[in-house]
Amino acid sequence: MKREAISSLLARRAFLRKIGRAATCAGAIAATGAAGALGVTKKVAAKSESTSRRGSFPTKDYDWTKRQWAFGVDANKCIGCLRCVEACKRENDVPGDAHHFNTWVERYVYLEGDKRARVDSHHDPVNIAASGSEREYRFANRYQDAKVEKAFFVPKLCNQCTHPPCVQVCPTGATYKAVDGVVLIDQKYCIGCQYCVQACPYGARWFNARKGVSQKCYWCYHRITKGLQPACVEACPVGARIFGDRNDPQSPISLFIRNNRVQVLRPETGNAPNVFYVGIDKEVS
Amino acid sequence: MPKHIVRLIILLVASAAIALIAKWFFTVESFYEYGHYRADSVPEIAAQEAVYKTARYCQSCHSERHAQWSANNHKSVTCETCHGAAQGHPEKGKLPIPADTVKLCTLCHEAMPGRPGTQPQIQVAQHSGGQQCKVCHNPHAPKIAAAAVRVTGDAAAGRQRAAACASCHGAEGISPNDTWPNLAGQSAAYLARILAAYKSGDQKDVVMTPLAQPLSDGDIRNLAAYYASLTCRTVPSTTRIGDAATGKALAKNCASCHGDTGIASNPAWPHLAGQKVGYLVNVLKAFRGGLRKDPMMAAVVRGLSDADIENLAAYYAAQSCQPVTEARKTP
Amino acid sequence: MEPGGLLELLVEIAPYTGYVYPNETVIPWTVLIVVYPYLTGLVAGAFTVSSLYHVFGMERFKPVGQFALLTALAFMIFVPMPLLLHLGNPQRAFNTMLTPHWTSAIAVFGFFAGFYVILLMLEIWFMFRPHFVRQAQRTSGLMGRLWHVAGLGSDDLSPKAMRYDEKWIFTLAVIGIPTAHGLHGYVGFVFGSLKSREWWSSDLMPVVFLFSAVISGVALLIVLYVLSCRLRKIAVDLQCLKGLAYVLWGFAMFTLVLEGLEFANVVYKGREGVEMILEYVSGPLLVPFFILQFSIGALIPIAVLSYMIWRGTTGKALIVGVTVSALLVLFQVWMMRWNVVIGGQEIAKTGKGLLSYQLVLLHREGLLIAVSVAIAPLLLLWAMVRVLPPWEKAATSLRSPLASAT
Repeated sequence: MKREAISSLLARRAFLRKIGRAATCAGAIAATGAAGALGVTKKVAAKSESTSRRGSFPTKDYDWTKRQWAFGVDANKCIGCLRCVEACKRENDVPGDAHHFNTWVERYVYLEGDKRARVDSHHDPVNIAASGSEREYRFANRYQDAKVEKAFFVPKLCNQCTHPPCVQVCPTGATYKAVDGVVLIDQKYCIGCQYCVQACPYGARWFNARKGVSQKCYWCYHRITKGLQPACVEACPVGARIFGDRNDPQSPISLFIRNNRVQVLRPETGNAPNVFYVGIDKEVS
Repeated sequence: MPKHIVRLIILLVASAAIALIAKWFFTVESFYEYGHYRADSVPEIAAQEAVYKTARYCQSCHSERHAQWSANNHKSVTCETCHGAAQGHPEKGKLPIPADTVKLCTLCHEAMPGRPGTQPQIQVAQHSGGQQCKVCHNPHAPKIAAAAVRVTGDAAAGRQRAAACASCHGAEGISPNDTWPNLAGQSAAYLARILAAYKSGDQKDVVMTPLAQPLSDGDIRNLAAYYASLTCRTVPSTTRIGDAATGKALAKNCASCHGDTGIASNPAWPHLAGQKVGYLVNVLKAFRGGLRKDPMMAAVVRGLSDADIENLAAYYAAQSCQPVTEARKTP
Repeated sequence: MEPGGLLELLVEIAPYTGYVYPNETVIPWTVLIVVYPYLTGLVAGAFTVSSLYHVFGMERFKPVGQFALLTALAFMIFVPMPLLLHLGNPQRAFNTMLTPHWTSAIAVFGFFAGFYVILLMLEIWFMFRPHFVRQAQRTSGLMGRLWHVAGLGSDDLSPKAMRYDEKWIFTLAVIGIPTAHGLHGYVGFVFGSLKSREWWSSDLMPVVFLFSAVISGVALLIVLYVLSCRLRKIAVDLQCLKGLAYVLWGFAMFTLVLEGLEFANVVYKGREGVEMILEYVSGPLLVPFFILQFSIGALIPIAVLSYMIWRGTTGKALIVGVTVSALLVLFQVWMMRWNVVIGGQEIAKTGKGLLSYQLVLLHREGLLIAVSVAIAPLLLLWAMVRVLPPWEKAATSLRSPLASAT
């Protein structure tokens, strides 16, 4: 080949190479841009379409923007019958053993001369023996012959905090605070890292090994959105659990908060819990 | 720039593009709509079916039971708390009726430190001699009827009115035979209740029902006060019915209402000590047969044989009717 | 209610004393979550050594400079393993990258880790590019083409190209330092940011984790370097070893101070729940903490290293002494991770009770799996060293712009 032909061939090759490189670059950028635009428009379309489609959310009979749920516990009334614990387990498909609870009851007992309370709950082997199995719950009457100075029962459940540490640490957004105040868990999105279980200072969360997700009390969201009460509130025979909408000044919970000196658990954490307690003691946390 | 650098940069940019595209592609539809979560999960959670249906659901079929329940003390205990969740009922069959009521009822009512005083509590071991709670207590209306009502009546007026009763019940309230009951020293509250029951038809007796009709409420109170003021007397029976010693063992089951020796702690329930043996036999048989109406008594005597009834009657008839001086609290 | 029986097979119920919340009797983070910070720590430490050479121009670390990067990558590749084995739904693990919740340390860590892996791979690629080119020229057939592709189809080893390569390596190494430290600092932040456990909640936690990570990485390199010299049947470079010993010694002392500070802080502040911590530390944690981690794992290596530095030990004694110290430091850092992760969960959130973690042998999150995951990177490293030998002339023997003229 002639030198000019060779050099022009080389020049052509160099030029094609440059074009090819530029095209690839441009293609990559265009693809990114297109994907971006597509993604954004898809998102925008979905959002506006869905919001207009949704109207009342999450159901057509229930509008979550109109409610602010809250819970009250009157520990002066609790008799420790544990009907709430069993009702919750049944309602929410919680494992039937003594190590996974959405809600539980703690017993605090001061015997004569005690400076610190003796605390027990359903995972205590003595109580498991009293009920006969891990699927049924009962407090053993272990102090009936003792000199009891003070004793009381404290129901516990998720506090649905206003600043939930569990939501803060969730890496995926599987747990979140809904607009009406309940902290929910998306069981189809949770990866099961259990960071939220670690972060909760109240021990309200637990890991469902069968489903591989975290679970906790969610104030029976499926019931309260239908005008029912949470199963534990329904089951309580003495009115130790109170539930309602703080937006309604005459709701049971609004009256409860207004008419009592209420407190919350671990206020120093800054979580701002939404379960209000009456009748608990310095030892209760 | 050396070509390997160029190619590397292209590779990195392409990878970043692919990563971004993948992110947008794989991110679920409804995410970010209301916040950092999948918005579709909210209606999914809300759509779950409720397991416990509440008492209003039960009312739609069990209206009578519901009415009884909601008018009494246990109205704060929902149906499903004792009978189990109503999900799938009645399609999937009946809900259980708790058999072991001792196990169930003591969950709330066992005396336990920590339970507030407002909660009715019992010492389980001493309360019913091991009987099932539902023997005496209707779970839907558990409070035992007719709390002690102080009966204020004019005993003197009652005495005048009682002249008509003496032919059967005796001039001093001690019956002349075995069949008709002594009334002397009987609890006024009980007498008032039973006379009112005869009058209203709540209780039926061939003889007493017509006799009670003309009585006014005042008459009833006066009669009750009069007979309650009389001194009781245990008259040994002429007929030899039953064995008192055997009856004593059976009487343990009756003690929580009628007292260990037939002297009732609650004035709503009749004293049995020193009562006529024939009367006691007839009445127990009447309860058993449903002729005399009392759900609690009916439940208690359901399992008694004729021999049991005679023994019980013999036991109570033989007891001294003088009350023990100190008041006894219901154990 | 679900049947309890099936779950009992999947979970270990922890026995306890005192009062703990009912949900606490299942300990959430197991030995795998001890392995995970251990592995990331080794990565951070190995990278620190490599940056001493590549960024700060310390020539004495040349024998281990490239090797350290390979070690970092081998371990970094295995970092996700314990996490994936622990997750309840590992198939959804990418949710953290698709919709990362930026307030979550775990979500941010995912991006740090991803970025860091790419950075490591790039730096190693640049280092070994001449090797790829030479291998492509030497071998033929399929292998030859693979080497060619590995070099991105380029055979340019001209001074101009090498200058580009040097700049890239330096830049990557510089960016890599905060990345690696951020990577492991974030692991510490995962624990330190929580309000729920007094044993974890500390501002110092990321720093403590970071410095203990550095000493674990340095110690690992010491052990592996000495081992590799044995296997290659060459003499250990004593200058290099001594340099590593200095680094180990300095960082180990600082780590000790930091950990002491942290513990002193908890005790001194005496917040609610401190009694249970003290009971725990003087009871079940006495041996693992004061004896294993502190005395055997920290004081002895520092003492041995101090002695050798003071006496100017050299030769075989130096090699033995430094290697033994390194092994003890590796042990110390493992115990530190154990005492933090498991120890923290054994102190109940109630502040009124203690639990006891049950380590089983055969279980998805048991000892056998944990040990396998911890050892697997060594096997990968061995394979990597065969393909990308860091000690021959194959690797670019670059000198950092900051290197002093030798």
